[in-house]
Parts: sequence; structure tokens; C-alpha cells
Amino acid sequence: MSHKQIVAVLWVILVVLTLAGSLLGETAEPGYALMLVVTLTMAIKGRMVIDHFMELKHANRLIRRLMQAYFYVLPLATVLSYVLSTQQL
Amino acid sequence: MSIAYSAQLPAAAHIPGNKGMWAGILCEMTEFAVLFAVYFTARVFFPQEFRSGPDHLNLLAGTLNTLWMISGSYFVVNAVIAIRQNRPAVSLRYLYLVMLAAAAYMLTKYLEFQWNGAHGVTGGNGAFFTVYYYLTLTHMVHVFWGMIGLGWVILRTRQGAYTPADHEGMESFASYWHATDLVWLIIFPLLYLLR
Repeated sequence: MSHKQIVAVLWVILVVLTLAGSLLGETAEPGYALMLVVTLTMAIKGRMVIDHFMELKHANRLIRRLMQAYFYVLPLATVLSYVLSTQQL
Repeated sequence: MSIAYSAQLPAAAHIPGNKGMWAGILCEMTEFAVLFAVYFTARVFFPQEFRSGPDHLNLLAGTLNTLWMISGSYFVVNAVIAIRQNRPAVSLRYLYLVMLAAAAYMLTKYLEFQWNGAHGVTGGNGAFFTVYYYLTLTHMVHVFWGMIGLGWVILRTRQGAYTPADHEGMESFASYWHATDLVWLIIFPLLYLLR
């Protein structure tokens, strides 16, 4: 597959993940399962954009690692704050 | 597949665009990291508000804006691919599509804020809504800066300034636009989906 074909496939996947996420957000019961699916989807979508749209997969190591780290730290912080928040309910 | 793919990308360890733009992008990501830290802290202190908050927002508007952002990112990567293939006319068409996606984002934002007004969703309704307005308005400002940069890149492409060997300006803009897309990919689930 060419670069152009790969980004086209990823665009379709991103659209499908977005629509599926909205459907889940609207219909699923709030809770840890929904939170984990939503957070994991956030991390996967971010990684797709960083690696292939931003073309960082083989680019400068510092920039690549900083950007990839963002999509480990933020999803983990999301899980942590959700767990701490739910314990207050 | 991987050989064919990597052969079409710039050399390994390449910096997309220029270092100055990356300093700006890392500042942008840091700015939003601070705002996200406010979200996480507020979520712990106001759990009930954050549990019920998304129910009061317009999910359709949030979903549409996600689609405009990822589509804008998709169009801009195609604009870069086209200029590398020495096809400036094709590149220009993709850049116009990016502008269309950005305009659709702005229109959706306007309609969403109108809808919020009609449904009593204001920043004074509690911590969740304060964070919602802070995050979404700041993001909107970054999209606006991007649109100005995009106008410049369109102008330069029309002038024939970019070539397969030198299109650093377009790559810089593309990197900024992707970063703005990335921020929205976090804002959307945090505000509209996570109950």
C-alpha cells in the first residue's frame, strides 16, 4: 500500500471510531467499561494521527517520543481522574 | 508493504516542517496539558457535575467537529503528498478542502453555542461547563490561527513556492494542523462522551 492509500484507510477507521464512540457515549451505561473503551479509543486515534498523518513514525526521535508520550500520559490521567472521581460518588 | 511505505516518507529522523514550528507545537500541547490538568482536578472535586455534564451538551455538534478535524488532517496530509509528487494543482485542491473543513468546524461551533444559549448551557452552570468553555474556546482560537496560516500556505502554493525538494512551509502548517486535531481528539471524549 502507498502512503496515500494508508492514510485513506486510517481516515475511514477514524471516522468509524468517532461515530461508534458517539453511539456508545449516547447509549451505553456510564461506568468503568465505557470509560476504558472511550479512553483506549482516544489513545489509538491519537497514535494513528501521530504516526501516519504527522508522519512521525520514522521521524526525529525526540519529537516522536514526546508526541507519543502525550497519548500515554493523557489517557492514563483520564483513567486515574475517572476512578478517583467515581469513588467520590 | 513497509518498504514501499517508508520509501515514500522523508528520510528517517527527519523533522517535519521546521524546528520553530515544533517549538510552537510543543508550547501548544503544554498549554492544553495544563487545561487538561484543570479538567482532571475538577473532575475529582465535582464528580456529579462531570458525570451529568455531557448529557447537557450537543453530542451531534461534538461529533461533527471531530469529523471536520480528522478530515482536515486527512486533506492536509494529501496536500503534502501531492506537492512531493510535484502536483501543485492537486495539492491546492486539498488545501481548499482543509479550509472547507475548518469553515465547517467554525459554523458548527457557532450553531453549537447558539444551541447552548437556547438550552441555558452557560459557563456559570458549574465547574464542568466552565472547563467546557475554556477548553473549546481555546481550541477554537487555535483553529482560527491555523486558518490564517492555511491562507498563507494556499497563497504560496498558488505562487508556485513549494517544490518536491522544498516544501518546509507546507509541512510546518500540516504539523500544526495535525496537533490541533490531536488536541480535539482528547477534548471530544473528555467533554462529550465520558459520563
